[in-house]
Amino acid sequence: MTMSDFFSIFQYQFFQHALAAAALTSVIAAMVGTYIVSRKIVFIGGGITHASFGGIGLAYYMGLNPFAGAAVFGVLTALGIEWISDKGRVREDSAIAILWSLGMALGIIFVFMTPGYTPNLMSFLFGNILTVGMTDIRVLLVYAILLILLFVIFYRPILYTAFDPEFAKTKGIPVARYRYMMSVVMALAIVLSIRTVGIILVLSMFTIPQITAMLFTRNFALVMPLAALWGIVGSVAGILMAYVLDIPTSASIIFFLTMQFLILKSIIIIRNSMLRKNR
Amino acid sequence: MTEPLVHLESVTTGYHTTPVLRNVDLEVYPGDFMGIIGPNGGGKTTLIKLILGLQPLFKGKLHFPAGRPRMGYLPQASQVDRSFPITVKELVSSGMKTRKAWVPFLSASQRKRLEGMLEEAGLSGYAGKPIGELSGGQLQKALLCRALIDNPELLILDEPNTHVDKQFEQELYQWLQQLNKSIAILLVSHDIGTIAPIIKSIACVNETLHYHPSNQLSEEVLKVYNCPVDVIAHGPVPHRVLKSHDHE
Repeated sequence: MTMSDFFSIFQYQFFQHALAAAALTSVIAAMVGTYIVSRKIVFIGGGITHASFGGIGLAYYMGLNPFAGAAVFGVLTALGIEWISDKGRVREDSAIAILWSLGMALGIIFVFMTPGYTPNLMSFLFGNILTVGMTDIRVLLVYAILLILLFVIFYRPILYTAFDPEFAKTKGIPVARYRYMMSVVMALAIVLSIRTVGIILVLSMFTIPQITAMLFTRNFALVMPLAALWGIVGSVAGILMAYVLDIPTSASIIFFLTMQFLILKSIIIIRNSMLRKNR
Repeated sequence: MTEPLVHLESVTTGYHTTPVLRNVDLEVYPGDFMGIIGPNGGGKTTLIKLILGLQPLFKGKLHFPAGRPRMGYLPQASQVDRSFPITVKELVSSGMKTRKAWVPFLSASQRKRLEGMLEEAGLSGYAGKPIGELSGGQLQKALLCRALIDNPELLILDEPNTHVDKQFEQELYQWLQQLNKSIAILLVSHDIGTIAPIIKSIACVNETLHYHPSNQLSEEVLKVYNCPVDVIAHGPVPHRVLKSHDHE
């Protein structure tokens, strides 16, 4: 492939859309993912993601928009997990595992029962960023703006209720209200990002850039923009590599995000050991 | 006559439907410095969480005769996630009660109070640092600042002397004694031996509560209270009791 072949891809609208979707998904995942990683609830994110497949299947069966179905299932699962965690009557991890597998099972059953055309399951499981349209980008843009406003206005209560909910409660902060609000925010962010990298890989967009950012700072407010930066760099590089090597885009994005983390982590380890030796 | 800050009347509380504490009566007055002792699982933390409003009341009455007092709370160190990306400044400011929690920035007076508090605790240089970079003692200081920043009338501390060195422990007790001149304190501790010199009264908690109006207890009294704690102070000098003995 020549350089002019390489740069010619940027002329195509589908490619421009893919880059915009990757950047916007990175921004959304950076904010929500920082909350998820900080609260150590990555497993809950996994539950929401996989349970939403049930909604995709049901929507297909009923002839509705599959992402609307995923959003409904995702939000209900998130609220259910938060409620279980709040009441503590059932082990939280067990409840997540049940909802996780039930969602996947329902999705498969409904897709199987759908008469006629069988939808391409692979695009939901692994995403297809190259088919993202202008409407998808507008939805991602609006959600990203809403999230930025939410995190700016409610930064303190979101941080306080995530860090120490019991203490926040003693200060009169309505902890349950904020936790349920964040559950809905989390579910919608995950469902919107499924379009980019698919159900199987979406969680990595919500964790890898954040742990990469946390190599450099342990300040919640700084982790978010830094995670967005690493997310954008990794996903754009992943899309370009997918084009050059003709491999699946979502897998390429995740590969790049992981490599980025491993390389930076290695550099930090080597630098620290050299500093120790020089002391 | 001074009204109590907190008044518990025949209170039963617990988790889900299982009672942990039964028929508890207790009054906490301004100026009190009460040590709460008892075996693990006896209900010490449950008692303070009930007062803080974190625990449901199964039976009985919980009053605040002079209105709900401002309360400062220092939880057990094990409850604090040190890997959480929060700065010392953010941690301490989370103790400020405000009707407008959603306002993203602190007011000028809140910032001034925060800076003064951090300076007093010797944490000014750590204000922008994440809590994971603090030593055990520094973290306890930051948590104590968070508990105090709202000018509480009642300070509640749950095992503040765990994961800290002896030097910090002494510093902490001096600080608490100073604070007790204007604030009532409830101090949960597994080690009554070290807190005995600073507390004024003791609550022995083991499924129920026995109030003891002084800072000295004998093993015999503890037996009557059904409060098996293996480390206890009695006599003029606090010390560990290994077996029954007399004092001159």
